[in-house]
Amino acid sequence: MFHHTPLRYAALVLLASGALFQAFTAQYFGLEILTEILILAMLVLALDMVAGFGGMVSLCHGALMGVGAYGYAVLSTTAGLTPPVAMAAAVGITAGISWVIGAICSRSHGIYFIMATLAFGQMAYSYVFEAPIFGGDDGLGGIERLDLSAVGIDLNDTRTFALFCLVALAAIYGLAVMVLRSGLGRSFSGVMHNEQRMRALGLTVWRVKADVFGLSGMIAGFAGVLAAQHIMYISPGLMAWTVSGEALVVVILGGLGTLVGPLVGAAVFVVLKHELSSLTTYWHLIVGVILIGVVMSRANGIFGFIEDYFAARSKAAVATPKATEVTKDA
Amino acid sequence: MTTDLGFWTLQALNALQLSMLLFLLSVGLTVIFGLMHFVNLAHGALYALGAYFAASVAAVWGYWAAFLLAPVAVAGVGVLLYSGFIQRMRKSGPMAQVLVTFGLIFVLLDMTRIIWGDLPLAIEVPAMLGGRLAFLGVEYPTYRLFIIVLGLVVLAGLAFVLGRTQIGAMIRAGVDNDEMAACLGINVERLFFCVFCVGCALAGLAGAVAAPLLSVSPDMGLQILIPTLIVIVIGGLGSLKGAVAGSLIYGFVQTFGAVLAPQLSSVLIYALLAAVLVIKPVGLFPAKG
Amino acid sequence: MKTTTLAALGLATTIATTATAEDIKIGLLLPYSGVYAALGNEIDAGFALGLEQFGGETDATFEIIREDTEVKPPVALGKAKKLILQDEVDVMTGIVSSGVLGAVRDMVHGAGVPLIVSNAGNDEATGADCSPFITRMSFSNGQVNRPMGIWMYEQGIRKVYTLAPDYAAGRQMIEAFEATFTAAGGEIVGQDFTPFQKTQDFGPYLTQAKSSGADAVYVFYAGGEAISFVKQYDSFGLKAELPLYGSGFLTSSLYVNAQGPAAEGVIAASHYVPTIENDANAVFVDGFTAKIGRAPSEFAVQGYDAARALIEATKAGATDRASLAAALRQVTFDGPRGTLSIDPATNNIVQPIYVYETVAGADGLTQKVLAQLPSEADPANGCVMDPVSN
Repeated sequence: MFHHTPLRYAALVLLASGALFQAFTAQYFGLEILTEILILAMLVLALDMVAGFGGMVSLCHGALMGVGAYGYAVLSTTAGLTPPVAMAAAVGITAGISWVIGAICSRSHGIYFIMATLAFGQMAYSYVFEAPIFGGDDGLGGIERLDLSAVGIDLNDTRTFALFCLVALAAIYGLAVMVLRSGLGRSFSGVMHNEQRMRALGLTVWRVKADVFGLSGMIAGFAGVLAAQHIMYISPGLMAWTVSGEALVVVILGGLGTLVGPLVGAAVFVVLKHELSSLTTYWHLIVGVILIGVVMSRANGIFGFIEDYFAARSKAAVATPKATEVTKDA
Repeated sequence: MTTDLGFWTLQALNALQLSMLLFLLSVGLTVIFGLMHFVNLAHGALYALGAYFAASVAAVWGYWAAFLLAPVAVAGVGVLLYSGFIQRMRKSGPMAQVLVTFGLIFVLLDMTRIIWGDLPLAIEVPAMLGGRLAFLGVEYPTYRLFIIVLGLVVLAGLAFVLGRTQIGAMIRAGVDNDEMAACLGINVERLFFCVFCVGCALAGLAGAVAAPLLSVSPDMGLQILIPTLIVIVIGGLGSLKGAVAGSLIYGFVQTFGAVLAPQLSSVLIYALLAAVLVIKPVGLFPAKG
Repeated sequence: MKTTTLAALGLATTIATTATAEDIKIGLLLPYSGVYAALGNEIDAGFALGLEQFGGETDATFEIIREDTEVKPPVALGKAKKLILQDEVDVMTGIVSSGVLGAVRDMVHGAGVPLIVSNAGNDEATGADCSPFITRMSFSNGQVNRPMGIWMYEQGIRKVYTLAPDYAAGRQMIEAFEATFTAAGGEIVGQDFTPFQKTQDFGPYLTQAKSSGADAVYVFYAGGEAISFVKQYDSFGLKAELPLYGSGFLTSSLYVNAQGPAAEGVIAASHYVPTIENDANAVFVDGFTAKIGRAPSEFAVQGYDAARALIEATKAGATDRASLAAALRQVTFDGPRGTLSIDPATNNIVQPIYVYETVAGADGLTQKVLAQLPSEADPANGCVMDPVSN
């Protein structure tokens, strides 16, 4: 069950004001980085929803994002739908696919769940990589952004698009909180803590898992649509399993099961990546070392570390979900 | 063409050769999992390391030295990994383990780039295994037959050790119930350590035997990882039988899929995996029910 | 549509460059990590050598900004945007993969920044998607393979089995060969496209090729796949009964020594091999060997000639984006590959093609040039461009 502690509110306010400041003052490349952070933040929110609150550690969220991106690209270019319709359809398709994956994998736990989602993600990746309609290895271009000129908003402007993504992220955050606080979200957390008890209480466990996974996939799909609109070019690399792995890295880096933490993680990760890759082509090495350090430190990521620090200082028993041990042994 | 018996024989041999290579990789991974409930995503990187060690050693002392030394060297890396990371991660959940080993992939991959460069390397097939052998009415490269035989020998060896020796009995006990095994006086931790090193050595061996067949490039570890994971998930984690079955299924589906249904071949194996997971969520022959 | 979108993005206003007339800012967009890192480094080395050897001929000074594409089109597009909008480069060069070229094409075209392509060979870049700002100093997929169809027919080969990785470049290479070979009267008896970057074991395909009744096999593979392919082809004993021909990348001097004796006797067509005999090549090979310690490959020469083309353009008086783009379209010089020029109709390079055999030399494998096929401009392939203005 998700709570907003004062610390979390403070972090959100800080993050939002930082993003707004950046959105209004940054130069071109700064805005590109901001947009990249915002889109990654949506993806990791989606992942934290299922991994942090339901123990469904998915290695296919990158691929789900890709489904949204490719869905939008193909529907808006080849199929000739208008951007709003294509967006809605792409998000809907992703949600549907996620629901099915969630339903199928609901019986698997721990490492089997990770592997099963990996398999579905790779299946989608392989298909897109080879199907000519998706442009194969070369990818697809000529993707248009949503046209909001009717209300006086020009999304082709880099600054406006960054602000648009910020608003979208805020809405998605709200949605994620709402879902987690709803009956569905509570049952979902209950399933993570004790699946048998929830079943004994008469809950259809697989339905709960599939529903939340579908909602999470919907958010990932939306992030994909925005990613396609942002770069205006997509390639299958977007769907490779390493992207899902990186998303998981971001969630862990920020703090699993805190929703706020992954937002911090996204910002840190993107900035780190850009800074390191301008220094060395071996930046993966450094990211790998940092990741290993964070996971082995046993702190729940950056934000978890801060929360623990404050909790220890005030000695107040703040009811934060400790999420170091999420999934039971397979 | 497809009515020609020789064609089917050759393709079956191709499938078997691929299966055996995957078997060498997956058996280590799966037994490590069965015993330690530990998923080592960096297993593919160890295979790449084995290939690189083999390329370096072969350049100086020839292939057979590489064949013997590469597994030892990779086992040495395994010792470092074990004492550095894995021992401390033993009690963490699968996600933490997946992530630490995911980080290790990046680290090891870039280390191989720094040490050996980006250009692919290669080693020659040893002269003894250079030619082709004619049998069953077909001619087949001797080196590929060697891989098949090697796979079968390793399989027989492992089956014997696991099934007939005291160490095997201890390992089986550990897989079944490690706490109970510990209570019975088995030093489970040391057992884990040995099994982990043997698994690493087998990955190194797979790298060394694959090197003359393929090119040795930094991303070969990432390329082989997914097939290996598919093998152990189809087969069921933790069992020798599962590794054999998974390898054979993957090898044959991949080989014949490539020839008979090229359009579907890459999706086919994932679809099969999904089907297995739907019907039996823990794979075909899991170590535990 | 595309240009209006870009103009709306606010790019059009940033075209004016701030650099002084003599100082040229170059954005080098290459993969320094990922599967093509080796090619990126090779092109970079060639480019640096080119600037070093010819830099004295011009008054202009050069500043290089390197960006890593990671072989990911979206990443490359982001980096290209950075180079154009933030660093305000005067000219860009590099680009190894066709996917990356496809991704940055609209951006480069819309912003009016000259781009010298130093590898990516997709036919569309100098065909339907051509741009007055994109000149190619490397090759086009069709260009390298087209002459080989006729040449092989002339050698008495009538039935061919083809193999290539299943992606755009692989298909274009094979299609170009197939078109001229069948037009000459040859027959393609079988064809396979293997899953790109996922095929390590070519055994199943080789078994099929063997039983196809072909006179020869024609393939396109590059990098790690080429090494695996050539070695496995030899190990199945196909080389003796079924000679192996291919696009030059198959036995590139960059990695032929990794293939070892398996590569001996393979005949391929390329726009460059280090054993071409002319003065310019001698200077290039000596310079490269002194710096890197081995002979240059076709990738190195592409970088080298890209630098040379840029210097020729500045010698002609070009100083900013627009004048560089126009001058690059008229570049011609005698380089290691022979006489090169840019076809003003498509902006693709016009160059001779060399048929070579890999043979054992004094120290390792070397390339024996069998034939030099005359330069031929690519067909326009739907390219419509304004003629060069100035």
